[in-house]
Amino acid sequence: MKRSRTAALLLMSTAPLLLTACDRSESASREGLYTSVEACVAQTNDSNTCQQAFAKAQQDAVATAPRFANREACEASYGKEKCAERNDGASHSFFGPLMTGFFLSQMMSRNGAAMNGFNSTPAFRDSNGGWQRPATGAGGVYRGGAGTAMVPVNATPNRAVTASRSGFGTSGSSRGIGG
Amino acid sequence: MRRVATAERPDWRAKAAACGFGFHTIDDAPYWDESAYYAFSLREIEVDIEAPSEELHAMALDMVGRIVGSEQHMQQLAIPEPYRDWIAQSWRERQPHLYGRMDFAYDGTGPAKLYELNYDTPTSLFEAAFFQWQWLEDQLARGQLPAGSDQFNSIYESLVEAFGTIARGIARPFHFAAVRDSVEDQGTVAYLRDCALQAGIDCGALAIEDIGISADGRFTDLDDQVIGCLFKLYPLEDMFRESFGEHLPRSGLQLIEPPWKALLSNKGILPLLWDAHRGHPNLLPAEFDGGGALPRGWVRKPLHSREGANIAMHLDDGRELRTDGPYRDGPCIRQACHPLTGFDGHYPLIGSWVVGDRACGIGIREDSSLVTQDSARFVPHAIVEEARGVLIA
Repeated sequence: MKRSRTAALLLMSTAPLLLTACDRSESASREGLYTSVEACVAQTNDSNTCQQAFAKAQQDAVATAPRFANREACEASYGKEKCAERNDGASHSFFGPLMTGFFLSQMMSRNGAAMNGFNSTPAFRDSNGGWQRPATGAGGVYRGGAGTAMVPVNATPNRAVTASRSGFGTSGSSRGIGG
Repeated sequence: MRRVATAERPDWRAKAAACGFGFHTIDDAPYWDESAYYAFSLREIEVDIEAPSEELHAMALDMVGRIVGSEQHMQQLAIPEPYRDWIAQSWRERQPHLYGRMDFAYDGTGPAKLYELNYDTPTSLFEAAFFQWQWLEDQLARGQLPAGSDQFNSIYESLVEAFGTIARGIARPFHFAAVRDSVEDQGTVAYLRDCALQAGIDCGALAIEDIGISADGRFTDLDDQVIGCLFKLYPLEDMFRESFGEHLPRSGLQLIEPPWKALLSNKGILPLLWDAHRGHPNLLPAEFDGGGALPRGWVRKPLHSREGANIAMHLDDGRELRTDGPYRDGPCIRQACHPLTGFDGHYPLIGSWVVGDRACGIGIREDSSLVTQDSARFVPHAIVEEARGVLIA
């Protein structure tokens, strides 16, 4: 069959639907970026999880870090002496950034205790001082056509006083812009 | 591939209303049209459309990597200088993308020919992914289609999967934005947001006009929250020249579609693809337009034309067609003329959807003109295995 097995609507439908997917209160998860196991423990008081998260991130770092053909290209993105030569096991060598931190996220129970399981990914510091971590790996709908994706690590969303609005949209017409 | 006249569902307008399809009729003119459908064989879909779509998609992504390393290509695509490094960086980081649509001329004979890539702000998505799917289910249930009829349309499943895949890397808060007064664009982002919510992503919506800027150059929503990630159904090239555009490269705002899509939603990609893959069966010869008279057998298209605007076509038989529009100035390309085939006086253009990197469905826009414009109607399709005639010797 070439078509979707089902096609459903949540918001657009006038049919009554119980919306359960969005129960994600801020307190229900713990997320953090740590530069060391010690920093993680200091924050979370959970040395076991921090150690495991660090180890897993380190293991993933080689496979998920961006790959460069030479040291210069890598250092252009990640800074001097922040890159190392690696090998993919099939005798192709490449250069990749060194892991400079790890990202830990974990679901919390209602009373604030850590629930089983966590997610950790390696984090890299780019030459502009920003932090990145690998996006979800290729597979499924993404066939790796866009290669290894790095995404910025964003801590908690922050607020800023808006100085002005309506700086976008002047080219739009009421007929729409889509192709 | 055949065009088949068929009975409309008597209740389709009520069904459209019930699922928020508010633009099935635009300015009193029909847009959704189920008085006919296009019937394809499975081979036509899989061999002639699905496989070439994935191949061309891979070729296009490969070309992005070449363009970001070339000032000359950036120049040819008229990418404004202040945005070039930012676009290149977004590609180096492989910032996630969501979807795109290729437009093909195809009539069931010979290879599908790529007219253009709509890889930044493609629309007609809700119609293709949802309403077309529901049409097939309803018509199968009513016995109006041959039993076992299928459709090339796993767009919905692919969208939910794609959102689920990129969710972890989407900065928060994540908002969907489109022009406030465009019913069609608002419908399209409402659908995308619906799919994102079904993938478990908490996300909001705001009008593109309501985006704010803070004194330190970050983009804000109506609650003064700094926007983490913005899905914008709004052309990158328009954002570049509007007053907030200059803040984009240093704002920290994550965009979907990402900045590197500016290289693929640009018709300059067509001559670059032709140069790199000269003679490819799914590509039409193309070159950058140096001005001057348009010879017979060629079409002139502005780099950023949408909805068939400002197209000049000089047919082999000497006829010339021109459409009006807002893209009068600026660079153009030329593409070899490969006119759409008429089916009972209707000219179907195949929109082939790519979600993530997967070709996952088509939507057909039918116009009474050789140039598919905003007047084109959306006509559903089905995969119907051809009845095998009994051969009598």
